[in-house]
Amino acid sequence: MTEFVQALVLSLLVGGIYALVASGLTLIFGVMRVINIAHGAFLILGAFITYTVWDQLGLDPLVGVVITTPIVFALGWLIYRLLVRPIRHAPMSSTVLLTFGLALVTEGVMGLVWGNESTSIRPSYVDQSFHLGQVFLPKAQVYGGLLAVVVLGCLWLILTKTWLGRAIRAAAANPASAELVGIKVTSVAALVFGLGLAAAGAGGGITGVLYPFVPGSHYLWIARLLAIVVLGGLGSLEGAVLSALVFGVAETMTAVYISPAWATAVPYAIVFVVLLFRPQGLLGTRLRDDAVTA
Amino acid sequence: MSAAESAPEARRALDPIWLGRGIALVAGVLLVLYPMLSDNLYYQNMIILSLVFAIAASGLSIITGLAGYVSLSQGAFVGLGGYTVGVLATHHPDTNVWLWMPVAGVTAGLVALILGFVAMRASGPSFVIITVAFLFLVQVIAINWRSVSGGTEGLSLPIPTWDADIANWPFYYSLVGILALQLLLTWWIRRTKLGTGLVAIRDDETKAATLGINLPVEKMIAFIASSVLVGVGGGVYGYYLTFIDPRGMFNILLSVEAMLALLVGGKATLWGPVLGAFIVEPLNEYANNNLGGGNTRLLLFGGLLVLIVLFLPQGVLPAIESLLNWVRTRGRAGLVGARIGTGGSLASLTGRLSLVDRAAAVDPPPPLLEVKDLRKAFGGLKAVDGASLVVPEGSITGLIGPNGSGKTTLFNLIDDTIHADGGEIWLAGERIDRLSPWTRAHRGLGRTFQITRLFREMTVLENVVAAQRSFSWGQLGRIAVSGSEARAAEELLEYVGMRSFRDQKARALSFGQQKLVELAQVLMLDPKLILLDEPAGGINPVLIDRMSGMIRELNSYGKTFLIVEHNMPFVLGLCDPVHVLARGHTMASGTPDQIQKDPAVVDAYLGDDFVLEDEHERTVR
Repeated sequence: MTEFVQALVLSLLVGGIYALVASGLTLIFGVMRVINIAHGAFLILGAFITYTVWDQLGLDPLVGVVITTPIVFALGWLIYRLLVRPIRHAPMSSTVLLTFGLALVTEGVMGLVWGNESTSIRPSYVDQSFHLGQVFLPKAQVYGGLLAVVVLGCLWLILTKTWLGRAIRAAAANPASAELVGIKVTSVAALVFGLGLAAAGAGGGITGVLYPFVPGSHYLWIARLLAIVVLGGLGSLEGAVLSALVFGVAETMTAVYISPAWATAVPYAIVFVVLLFRPQGLLGTRLRDDAVTA
Repeated sequence: MSAAESAPEARRALDPIWLGRGIALVAGVLLVLYPMLSDNLYYQNMIILSLVFAIAASGLSIITGLAGYVSLSQGAFVGLGGYTVGVLATHHPDTNVWLWMPVAGVTAGLVALILGFVAMRASGPSFVIITVAFLFLVQVIAINWRSVSGGTEGLSLPIPTWDADIANWPFYYSLVGILALQLLLTWWIRRTKLGTGLVAIRDDETKAATLGINLPVEKMIAFIASSVLVGVGGGVYGYYLTFIDPRGMFNILLSVEAMLALLVGGKATLWGPVLGAFIVEPLNEYANNNLGGGNTRLLLFGGLLVLIVLFLPQGVLPAIESLLNWVRTRGRAGLVGARIGTGGSLASLTGRLSLVDRAAAVDPPPPLLEVKDLRKAFGGLKAVDGASLVVPEGSITGLIGPNGSGKTTLFNLIDDTIHADGGEIWLAGERIDRLSPWTRAHRGLGRTFQITRLFREMTVLENVVAAQRSFSWGQLGRIAVSGSEARAAEELLEYVGMRSFRDQKARALSFGQQKLVELAQVLMLDPKLILLDEPAGGINPVLIDRMSGMIRELNSYGKTFLIVEHNMPFVLGLCDPVHVLARGHTMASGTPDQIQKDPAVVDAYLGDDFVLEDEHERTVR
């Protein structure tokens, strides 16, 4: 029982981190109908930048997120301007291939800059735990999970309480009408791409403290993230958060009660089952595609 | 013109088709001769690997190039082929390894069938995600299922026993043979009804379904045709490597390389994938051997992918082709501005359409289409709310109503472009509301769209032959681009006056021209009932007259129509009975005269000041 409670709490903390990163991915899809295959790569990039900040400046890695996030945001903004914007009207498969290419380039660059050996960020508290009765909770997991929730909360506030948030939701609902009421959709889209990647970067900083990583880790992450957003319903923020928690629990329980080796198969199995029985995901709605678009 | 006459020979030589065939022939001969002329193992190895990717990319060109479904699982089929041969060869050491190659193809085909059941439920973005997930899933299984796959340590295949002098020849020539088969398969599919159906799916899946194209079956065939020979090629590849492991055989970079080869060469072309493979794989070898491999390879593949998507989305071959075409046709006037033909007579079509003599019609006519209490809500909005109407056989029935009253949605429900929440639809005495859109088309339902939905990248002729009036395996294999299918389509194009435009791309046509082609497309289905969504909307008055003339003529030969239209003189002059739709339900039905005098209709739609402008014209026409 204790083992179960411990696994449950830890998996929810991990789920919080997944929720943050997946929110970025689903946000980008919701606004610009782009499936950003490079999302996992930017998460690992966030981890490497956090590593450098921690290693060189001696800053606590979780505090270092304050530096990592703006860097990744700026990178995302720039990538949208230079690469995604020119093909924003192309079929979705084009942006899938483009961001896939971007993921490979990012992986290659990280390999050249930081090397392909396993890297880990180890602040002083990494081996310490909180004890609640018989339940052990590693401090890094607790801090990381809570930080993810805070950053996710900030993202939520931006989307619901600010002019930018309203502009983003307007652009997502109907780009042409958003233009008519004075919203510059491509500028909004660039900010969204930046915000989405920043979420990945922040999540990368946090997970970098929890697990060792290599440039090639991004495949596992993108598989996981795609499974989460597909499960939640592509484009649905609430769905992404909910399914991230479900997913975190499913993955951890598989690792604890079946075997860690098969835990890596969980995301793929989920994608299959979901798309077979409920293609629109948990909270997604089928889009109305018969409306006249000309 | 003078330039064309002075150098016709040069122009013919520049004809992309003949130029391409010439180059392909020379390249093929060189490919076959190479191992006999040179025993340079480095280049033989490079060619063997290029052949593997050429097979993978050529297969991919069916599902991705023709049907438009981006698949990143192509590498998985290479790996599955390799593993099938690897596992069987290690468990049966005394059997000749080559015997397992066909088994590799069967495995790949079976897995594609199973994967297809899941993947084909998804459209566009979800499909890519599934194929990636599948690849990783197979890899995880290969790593964990140690008793069969050997886990991460991989499997070692038997060392070839033949003469070392011809060490590579069996691999080399069997791959050449598999590539030839794959190209033949791809070439054949492109010419059949199946091929045009796949391109239709790529351009507009919903519309394709309304033209009788059986989406799941055709996509499934495409997916299997994309993978069987790739599995065989993967088997040969695995044997050639003599060592296979999950990280190598199920590496996503294999899929990326196949995709790159396809994109570089030109995804909708026959030879493009082969050319692409022979460009990308040597580059890959070079990056591996001379630029440090690993990360450089990633930068090369990733960078190339980004550059191609941004700057050369069509690929090399189409770019060359359009350049040659530009040189050839420079200075000639485009055809799209030409006048629409005067149209042919229906009499010439009697062999194609089942036309009946109206004199023998029953009176009163039985209902051909019956809609009962049809409902559809979008969230809280009840777009169609208990609509009921009857279309008598042999009639031209009108459907009018204010904007937003649910007319087009009703059409969409009748042909299942969107799925109804409830209610019944009966066509010719058979209940059809549980049938798929393509089955409804096969039962005799044809439909045009308010904003025309032709397949933009197809020619006018291809648009018309894309329609499939029934489903049979034999029909899928019928050649579409020439022969009887093409002749039938040309007759229909002649009838609507668009024959001289047969080789134009649909996207180049004006809106009115597109409406005419869409009518020919629907007629190709030889439907009992034709739903026309605003046939007179957005086209010039002369064409409107032509349109109503054709509707009358087709009707006099037994075709039944249901027409949505806002042009009141057009509707009231042509249609009887007329149904009025308001707020999603039928508020009135009757003859045009009854409708015009119905106070509720006048109030809801026509307006107090409505007078039909030319009563006289209506009776004369």
